[in-house]
Amino acid sequence: MSGCPGSRTMDFSEKTAQEGSETGKRPSQLRQWPIQMHLVSPQAPYFQGKDILLAADCTAFALGDFHKDYLKGKSIGIACPKLDSDQEVYTEKIKALIDDAKINTLTVMIMQVPCCFGLAQIAKEGAEKASRKIPIKQVVVGLEGNILSEEWI
Amino acid sequence: MENVLNKEIKKIIDSCPEVGRILDEYGIGCVPCSVGSCLLKDVVGIHNLDPEKEATLMYRIEKAIYPDRNVAKPVIDATKKAAPKKITYSPPVKKLVDEHVLIKRLLALIPTIADYIETSMKVDKDLVLRCVDFIRTYADKYHHMKEEDILFKYVDEKAEIIQVMYKDHDTGRGYIRQVVEGAEKGNKAQIKQNMLAYRELLTQHIKKEDEILYPWIDRQLSTTQVGEMFRRCNEADASVGEELPKKYEKFIADLEEKFLQEVVK
Repeated sequence: MSGCPGSRTMDFSEKTAQEGSETGKRPSQLRQWPIQMHLVSPQAPYFQGKDILLAADCTAFALGDFHKDYLKGKSIGIACPKLDSDQEVYTEKIKALIDDAKINTLTVMIMQVPCCFGLAQIAKEGAEKASRKIPIKQVVVGLEGNILSEEWI
Repeated sequence: MENVLNKEIKKIIDSCPEVGRILDEYGIGCVPCSVGSCLLKDVVGIHNLDPEKEATLMYRIEKAIYPDRNVAKPVIDATKKAAPKKITYSPPVKKLVDEHVLIKRLLALIPTIADYIETSMKVDKDLVLRCVDFIRTYADKYHHMKEEDILFKYVDEKAEIIQVMYKDHDTGRGYIRQVVEGAEKGNKAQIKQNMLAYRELLTQHIKKEDEILYPWIDRQLSTTQVGEMFRRCNEADASVGEELPKKYEKFIADLEEKFLQEVVK
């Protein structure tokens, strides 16, 4: 069990049953397409004046109630700070979202693994380049889908 | 216990002063409150104690009010030590907390300024009025108005805690009117008495806001509301211009320089 925490093999399949209901259908809270940061345009109408969730790819799979608790009411962009190329484009798009789309807030959701903090850094750099200022929140998700921290940065 | 939870805190403390002492131990300073009409359940809830601490507090209050009642003592795991809660604020609320820092710097100088006025041959009217200008323009117009026009609108303005804040603002304005009147008449005692009263009031007021009210409001705000409030506060700041806070920061720095030298002499 050594090596990079971002790619280390871990098995949670023996995890005991957790609280929560399996009954009922949960509707998707996604209200846009596309969602990948290379594909989205800051000029898209679904970004204008909205609260934006910038989510690391893995978060939606780790967090059981991702749609209900974090995506609902927000527009989204997803990215992987470890594997995606040309990430300077992301910085420019975040700047454009703040200055041109005049987004209301930015919530950056990342996994607890160190490489994921690169996405928070990209968000900060984009925000620093922007002339408008907006509140930015960082949410860190644990590998087993728990929220480790949620704070304004 | 249900009917006690829905009772005004002042009435509870009046009939059972021990409750005031217990609350004080938990950092809940209701005893000197000028209004005291908050309900016990709201007083406890707003302080966001950890569950074990809150259970123990409620047990002690119930035992104090009903000593003969058989109340189950909460089981506390002594091995688990609750980590002290770090207060974090949303960006617009943090800005208001930061503005308190400059106001507190004036409050810290008030005893020295009051002594200086008392021992001077003639009342330094210009000094008094410049302090009043800081209080009326920076503390009241620039800061308190953002609370009253923006922040408090995001919660139930009829809530007792908000009413207490409004009352503190009004009481403070009354003290400052008295300071101005004292300066006009050259009445040193009137100036000193009301400056010190303002200091005492605002010191407690800011402590309540930083530690209790602001975190309580922050817990109720949605992400969308935080963004909206941030924008509205920025617009309010822009409407007075960026020179205003700089001007008053310089005023306080100059005042500190002058009065720290007075203390050294």
